Amino acid sequence: MSRALDDVVVLDLTRQFCASLSAAFLADFGARVIRLDVPPLRAPSDGRWNHEADLIHRNKESLALDPSTKRGGALLHQLVAKADVIVTDWQRDELAALGIDYAGASALRPDIVFGRISGFGPQGPDAELPPIDELAAARTGMMPILPQPGQPPIYTGAGAMHATVMLAFGVVTALIHRQVSGEGQEVDVSLFGANMYGAALDIQAFLAIGEGDRFLNPISRMDVSNPMSGSLYPSADGRWVTLTMPDTDRWWPVFSAAVGIAADDPRFDTHDKRTETNRLELIRELEAAFGKQPGSHWRQVFQEKQMSADVIERFDYPANDQQVLANRYILDLDHPSFGPVKSLGFPIFMSDSPARLERLAPCVGQHTAQVLHELLAYPEDSIHELRAAGVVA
Amino acid sequence: MAKALEGIRVIDLTVWFQGPVSAQYLADFGAEVIKVERPQGGDQGRGVRSIKSLPVGDWNQYFLVINRNKKSMAIDLKTEGGRQILYRLVEKSDVFLSNLAPEMLESWGLSYEKLSAINPALVYATNTGYGRFGGVSKPSFDMTVQALTGAMARLGEPGEPPVYLGMGSGDAYGGIMSALGIALALYQRRRTGRGQYLDASLYGAQLFLAAPYLQSFLAGNQDAALQHSRKAVENPLWNLYPTSGKWVYLCEPNEDARFAALCRALDAPSLHADPRFATSTLRTRNNEALIAAIEALTLRHDHPALMRAFVAEAVVASPVNNLADVVRDEQAWRNNYFMKAYCEEVQREVDVRGLPVTLSKTPGEIHCLGPQLGQDTELLLMDLLGYEWDEIEALKTQRAIP
Repeated sequence: MSRALDDVVVLDLTRQFCASLSAAFLADFGARVIRLDVPPLRAPSDGRWNHEADLIHRNKESLALDPSTKRGGALLHQLVAKADVIVTDWQRDELAALGIDYAGASALRPDIVFGRISGFGPQGPDAELPPIDELAAARTGMMPILPQPGQPPIYTGAGAMHATVMLAFGVVTALIHRQVSGEGQEVDVSLFGANMYGAALDIQAFLAIGEGDRFLNPISRMDVSNPMSGSLYPSADGRWVTLTMPDTDRWWPVFSAAVGIAADDPRFDTHDKRTETNRLELIRELEAAFGKQPGSHWRQVFQEKQMSADVIERFDYPANDQQVLANRYILDLDHPSFGPVKSLGFPIFMSDSPARLERLAPCVGQHTAQVLHELLAYPEDSIHELRAAGVVA
Repeated sequence: MAKALEGIRVIDLTVWFQGPVSAQYLADFGAEVIKVERPQGGDQGRGVRSIKSLPVGDWNQYFLVINRNKKSMAIDLKTEGGRQILYRLVEKSDVFLSNLAPEMLESWGLSYEKLSAINPALVYATNTGYGRFGGVSKPSFDMTVQALTGAMARLGEPGEPPVYLGMGSGDAYGGIMSALGIALALYQRRRTGRGQYLDASLYGAQLFLAAPYLQSFLAGNQDAALQHSRKAVENPLWNLYPTSGKWVYLCEPNEDARFAALCRALDAPSLHADPRFATSTLRTRNNEALIAAIEALTLRHDHPALMRAFVAEAVVASPVNNLADVVRDEQAWRNNYFMKAYCEEVQREVDVRGLPVTLSKTPGEIHCLGPQLGQDTELLLMDLLGYEWDEIEALKTQRAIP
């Protein structure tokens, strides 16, 4: 079966989860991703399943190489010359020292697409700060307003996951340009920019409106702007429910019945009363109403009435959700060493060239000989000699 | 300057946030994106009047920013004439993108089978709520889907309510996921000449918002699903600390040299000498005591003073900024994460979210903000689709177009 990126060779020079996963997404859709395992090498997982590696390095090949040696450096340059894409999260000075920053890499391979996750973007005074998602998230302005009032700021980790997908998108977009023009280029996605896009609506609203305590301080759930939208209420068994029914006029007849409030209750019989005049009173009424039944009851009610509302679940829910398995968002794997396990799958469905799972994470250096032979045409005895000399492993 | 997606034409039949932002990525990089909207009111996002109870002001930034660089056609797809227009548009387009329910698309004659029969090279993309398979089809919004993923329930201090990752957080993520899928399909199509259909659902995308933690849970680490207190993190050197001003995020590995630097920055030789914290193992074992001790020290300073001390000792940390800080952040403006754009509605330049994906030779650009409803309908009917004026008059009579 043909895959989207069948003709693309990617060199993976990554350390962090988010950047490695970006290269894995390219591999899922057919790219030949060669991961350079450089010293210090990944530690073996002392007999436990390395679930992280099997997600972020799936479908990749591993070539173990010490680029700090003269011959290792030369070999690295030969690999770059054969690559269509580099995916990296290394700092620019580290890459430059090996002669494979964009200037060096594009001298070796003029049409290379050079994709990098940076901390704070290619320009500006903080361009060389390290790519640490927590630092980027702290700068983005959202951490103080995610929790309830009086609580510590919240770090979600979602910004790094945005960066993963943005970098893959940027690389494929650059490949599309290269198909037409023959021209490669640099692609930069920063953790800072990715965190900002994850917080798109708040940031854009504040940019435009320019003021407002409700953007700078946490909003109590007992003071939510619309009691029927973006709200959180505890149910009788401690599980929380959340509602997104911004158009309260449309939902009120069915919703009010479900929570035991008369549809014509004069306190709440218009959208304005529900969301402005008597907003706080409605929040208190709903707090009491949802507390009378357990989460399972509310899920059933929401389902029956086709309401845009749901119970806030823990990870055990998607792990066992048939809908998730049917869409391959989570996979049942038969692991060669650990038997049946579950792993995150594929967030994008493609009908003609679906994501593949050809192999789990490679062992360090598992494909060294194969890559040297296939990509660089090294004969077997040269490979032996490189191994004996400690250049590759 | 060259544009990466020049020559790609996209039919954007999307509403609210996820779908529009997906098409926005394509439009930013030069695709011709034609937004198709119902004549009565158009995309519901046009109706947004307030955010967090605050009026949006004189321009609707919710709609205008994610629909920038797009054209707009107003077509009533419930009419036969409207459908015929869309079919002709499909013949001339490379991508069809919609976040309407598949059942609705089906009932309007806009299924993949139907449209790919018209144009076999079409990339047909949907953004469903819960995926194409498995049978679940119900209204989906960012937060109600995020609720199911487990991403909310693991955040916050133990006993506190779950934490929503931010307005539009899941839609924004579903949007870029969808843009990635479309780009993959377009790249493949240039080689094979064949189209296909793809789906990037809100649920599927949002499961990856907490990928490291969910993957850990799937491997048997039940703890990854639960809330954790910042007072008990394993490495006290990588943690949030309060000051008399803003909070500060300290990001240092648990190594002796870094602990020594931290103690110098905090001017706390006694902390450095404390035998409970002498090695990395001890600092992990006595983490709660160490966190309390560091916190007592950081609270003596405001964040500018603490950051000066950290910088002097090369301790990696950042103040936890708020939105008023980020909109002034030089780094954001220098990298075009924020940009100025001319807003026709108010006849002035406004500040908008810019380009988070930086391509060095084919950078994205913003040449206009979101279109007026149906502003390009007649022009595109004539120039692109070859309708004569009397046919257009007839379409108006049939109410296929306004």
